[in-house]
Amino acid sequence: MLKVANVSVKHGAAVILSNISFSLQPGKTLAVVGESGAGKSTLIAAILGFLHPSGGKIAWAGASVRSCGPALVMQEPRSAFNPLLSLRRSVMEPVIAQNSEISKRRLNRLCEGLELPAEILNRRPQEVSIGQAQRVGILRALIAAPPLVLFDEPLSALDAVTQKHTAKLIADLQQEEGFAALIVTHDLGYAVAYADEIIVLKSGRIEEVATPTTFAQTPKSDYSRTLRDAAIALGALEASS
Amino acid sequence: MRQSLLNDTLTVSGLSVARSGRTILHPTSLEISPGDRIGLVGSSGSGKSTLGHALVDDFRAQGKRVTHVPQSPDEALDPLRSMAFQWREAEQALGLQPGSADQKTLFSTLNIEGSDLRRRPWGWSRGMQQRFVISMALMGTPDLIVLDEPTSALDPVVAAATMDLLDRHLGSGNIAMMLITHDLGLAARRVSRLMVMEDGRIVECASTKELLQRPQASASKALVAHRSWVELPC
Repeated sequence: MLKVANVSVKHGAAVILSNISFSLQPGKTLAVVGESGAGKSTLIAAILGFLHPSGGKIAWAGASVRSCGPALVMQEPRSAFNPLLSLRRSVMEPVIAQNSEISKRRLNRLCEGLELPAEILNRRPQEVSIGQAQRVGILRALIAAPPLVLFDEPLSALDAVTQKHTAKLIADLQQEEGFAALIVTHDLGYAVAYADEIIVLKSGRIEEVATPTTFAQTPKSDYSRTLRDAAIALGALEASS
Repeated sequence: MRQSLLNDTLTVSGLSVARSGRTILHPTSLEISPGDRIGLVGSSGSGKSTLGHALVDDFRAQGKRVTHVPQSPDEALDPLRSMAFQWREAEQALGLQPGSADQKTLFSTLNIEGSDLRRRPWGWSRGMQQRFVISMALMGTPDLIVLDEPTSALDPVVAAATMDLLDRHLGSGNIAMMLITHDLGLAARRVSRLMVMEDGRIVECASTKELLQRPQASASKALVAHRSWVELPC
């Protein structure tokens, strides 16, 4: 279980995250939503140990998060890869790092589910579209069956149809393999459709923790309501007639 | 390839684009009337942005005033020039007096008020750059505004405010708008006519209501089926 307890992050005098606490069980999905600059990506960086919180504790099963071999899907698809390596080499890095092997069947299944022709993996990152690079990023994150996956805007470069297919693939795999998923997203429709719980962040603080139903229908805080209404105005959430 | 200026209707016929010997936009003809609200939708790689770019170039060559919000602000902003310079340049391009555009209101609505215009684009975040480009597109009264995924880099609250600002700006006036997006849910709320693209062709064009209720082309059916993530009970 991922446990984040009273975590604060400061950058100079600026408070980026303030007293953040939550837990995430294996097999569950937690979505973190909020405005740009709310601290969502900083939270991911803190969980992975890329930066050190000024206070609080972050642990996976009582040990450091890094020790469990977490995976990350980065926000900028192309810059997530070494431009000098083929995508295949980059995709296999988590496997090599864990000294394990991956069956061809698993690779093919993931490629098929992500609608990635196998030959794409022979290319370099700059030779594929942004949408393809984003899906290769998801492939790399899931290839070694990690226990914890952190998704930072994982579907932002995909078209609407591919978004839905990809989200379903991730959910199906999660059901089979039981990984815990933390999804940072601006796409509130995605969060409501797939998360077990939603955290609303504003200016580095937790504004509300809600189930998807509560967030969509009866959000408690004013800011959550503003977010929900914005999602409806953008067509990300549809009110049925 | 082109004809127009018969009246205020923007017209292109036989517009096509080829790159490296490959046709990426098949001959396309369309008319845009003053005040039209058109959504150009389709999957990634269907040719939406290519058609958008081709229309902007063609209409400008016809002497029409067209503003364009490209998908990436990198395409719109000169990295060597300050934001203030780019604002003045846009005013000049639209024939406006320097300082006459209502920068304060636009910046305030787009939540970039107080930003340092002396900086160059890379001194601003990507979302702020995107909003700056949108504000430049809204500063005058062009014949057509082409917006290519205008809200993709914005958070939901700012994105919704941006679309509302756009609605208010267009009002019931004569400025035509083409919204290019893969998101049918977004387009459905903002446009009166939808064009669906697939493999470099417009495969269906219908009123928004008609297309949502009775999509004909397979690409349209897929988009309608994947229109939103969830429906909320009223």
